[in-house]
Amino acid sequence: MGLKTAFARLAAGAPARCFAIVGAGADEIAPWLRLDPELAIVDSPRAADVLLVLGRFNEDTLHAAAAVHDLVPPPRGVVSWSPGHEAARGLPFTDAVALSDPSEIGSAAVRLRDELLSGRRASSPDILPDVDPAPWRGVGPFGQGGAGMTGGVPYGRPLAGRANDRDGLKLDQILVRVGPFLPPFPPGLMLDVKIQGDVIQEVSMPAAALDDGSSVADEHHSSEAPGSTEAMTRFAAVQHDPFIAALMRPVPVADLELARARHHLAWLAEALRVSGLEAYGRRVLKLARTVRPEAAEPVDDLSRWLRRNLSLRWGTSGVGVVSASQAAALPGGPVARAAGDGRDVRSLDPAYQRLGFMPVVLEVGDALARWRLRVAEAQQALTLAKRSNGSVTTPSGLVEGLRGPMGARVSASTALVTMLPELLVGMEWGDAVTAVVSLDIDMAEAAVLHDVAAEGRAS
Amino acid sequence: MNALGVVIAVVSVAFVAAAGVYVTAWIDLVLARAVAGLEVRPLDALIAPLRWAAATALKARTTTERPDAEAWALAPALLAALAAVGLAAVPLAPGLLAADVANGIVLFGAAMALVVVAVFLQGWSPNSPLPMIGGYRFIAQGLSYEIPLAVVLIAAALPARSLAIAPIVTSQEHLWNVVRQPLGLPLYLMAGLGLAFWGPLALPEGQDLAGGSSLETSGASLLLWRAAQLLVLVAVAAMGTAVFLGGWLGPLLPGAAWMILKTLFLLIPLIATRHFVARVPTERYVVVSWAILIPLSLLDVFAAGIQALMAAR
Repeated sequence: MGLKTAFARLAAGAPARCFAIVGAGADEIAPWLRLDPELAIVDSPRAADVLLVLGRFNEDTLHAAAAVHDLVPPPRGVVSWSPGHEAARGLPFTDAVALSDPSEIGSAAVRLRDELLSGRRASSPDILPDVDPAPWRGVGPFGQGGAGMTGGVPYGRPLAGRANDRDGLKLDQILVRVGPFLPPFPPGLMLDVKIQGDVIQEVSMPAAALDDGSSVADEHHSSEAPGSTEAMTRFAAVQHDPFIAALMRPVPVADLELARARHHLAWLAEALRVSGLEAYGRRVLKLARTVRPEAAEPVDDLSRWLRRNLSLRWGTSGVGVVSASQAAALPGGPVARAAGDGRDVRSLDPAYQRLGFMPVVLEVGDALARWRLRVAEAQQALTLAKRSNGSVTTPSGLVEGLRGPMGARVSASTALVTMLPELLVGMEWGDAVTAVVSLDIDMAEAAVLHDVAAEGRAS
Repeated sequence: MNALGVVIAVVSVAFVAAAGVYVTAWIDLVLARAVAGLEVRPLDALIAPLRWAAATALKARTTTERPDAEAWALAPALLAALAAVGLAAVPLAPGLLAADVANGIVLFGAAMALVVVAVFLQGWSPNSPLPMIGGYRFIAQGLSYEIPLAVVLIAAALPARSLAIAPIVTSQEHLWNVVRQPLGLPLYLMAGLGLAFWGPLALPEGQDLAGGSSLETSGASLLLWRAAQLLVLVAVAAMGTAVFLGGWLGPLLPGAAWMILKTLFLLIPLIATRHFVARVPTERYVVVSWAILIPLSLLDVFAAGIQALMAAR
């Protein structure tokens, strides 16, 4: 038995290390992958055995997905899944293992990894040509590309510029395209960031940043008007089922509030992971999956643990402060409530009024306030669900969703994405990531409602 | 030392290093499962690091666009070599150490000071922005841990009036340095976390950078890099044991057994920080280090100096 065979046999019992790229319609699946004992979700494609391609993608994100694929070191393979059994359509991964059942992702990834490492299956070949994106063409007639040049975009390649930093030192400024699949950021978020050291100097959004990504891989939806009721309903069916349902018909308060508690806890799990507490994040994710209104004590314990954890307070206090005026410009939601803006659609619903509902409101508006507010709202949601005793909501065309009011012309995610450039400039990279994570942006929600807004402007 | 002695020293350091890395990976895995609320199966966890290592070794070493290939290849080997040199300076028992030099504590400090070069090379070489930020961060945090580390080690050497490790251990026969210099060990361990870029001070490789300085690294290079990082942690715990916890001194058990037990006693809380303490922001850590940790370490060395002077009278 050769060394390679021995290693492959030894590796066979380990979880499959996967890098996940998440497109439209996969948000319900992706967060829970970390609970699958057969998977180890990694932050870098370089550390992965298998690329998980989940959901639908548009042309820009498909190109980015292909680029990520080529970053996975051989031997590599692809497992794909998309809602509605459309896994293979439009994707450039010709040898992908296409699944129709998301519960098979773990076992399929392990099987594929074992076949790849043992040599029983060929590694997935590169998709994109391995060529220089901006080949060197010598010094131009104006000296462009010459020695000592800084700034500009010679031959299509942005050069580092030079500028004074905050301490008055001259340092390089580098332009970096962030996303759409950089793990600490929401899937689909793309930003052009100018960094100096690790301080963010400028942030802008590429033209394709707000696009829900369903039109290319999903032919029968391509003729659908963006932002149409059909698109909203399709989005809702995958994303926030009970909340969109509540727009149109009475829905049990218990269903809405349990979904809210689970979402906030799952968000907290990811925030803890990004803060370096990966194992504790997994514990919280498990709690998010299993929590019930009648057994909410673990959430109270979690709240106490968070309050006592000085390191988390240190990392989030004063970071990404949303001012009262910025909060007022948001349509509402947890980010606004953490900054002192108490708007909450639930206050207007008779069912919630009978339960004595009062919105949780904090004043500071920083990342720490958003962490605390979501945990407090999760506790409150479980209490409401327990006490609701079969109460149902009254449809009014507006529902307090997970991130803000749904049914409004502009979603909270859209408003938050628009706010990012203003919020992030001047921050260190780590603080910027903490701030973005604490905003809980959903790019699919932002994209659909961005289309609605675009449609409104056009008309 | 003759040729045979050199071979024996190298083999023994390699053996201790491999065992230390393996035990560290195992403890980390057991702690991670316990904190995550998963069933802890210590025997399964025993083989898990080997499975990860095998799977990683079978992956190709990838490259990036126009990397500094030589420096990138060198970085993991440099980190491993520096950690091994640091470990070689630590005596396992009286007369049982690979690098029996008169200035052992200087050798350890010099090796650990160069860790900053290895981590910066790892971040800078791939020609990729997030690893580069990781490299920058380690430069930024470098002095903030190096100064307290060096100062508390000097303080620990003062009672022994020697820079060799063995006399520092024997100088603790009646009173360990952890009691004699109560500031020393906590400051040393905090600095050690920075040196090993671990837990709250994993700034160059944080999740906010999607892996940072090792984001672009794969295959055997990644395997060596991870092992080298764990080895730095082992070296920090072993040296901490020698200079603050009386090294091999202890009743009943052989000296080497005491050394291993005490090293584990320091290693476990160091590893556990990864699961209980969130990563701290770079700037805040640097401010705290210069405003609190470095002044405290200076206080520690002044107090140790006064104690040494009084003892000399």
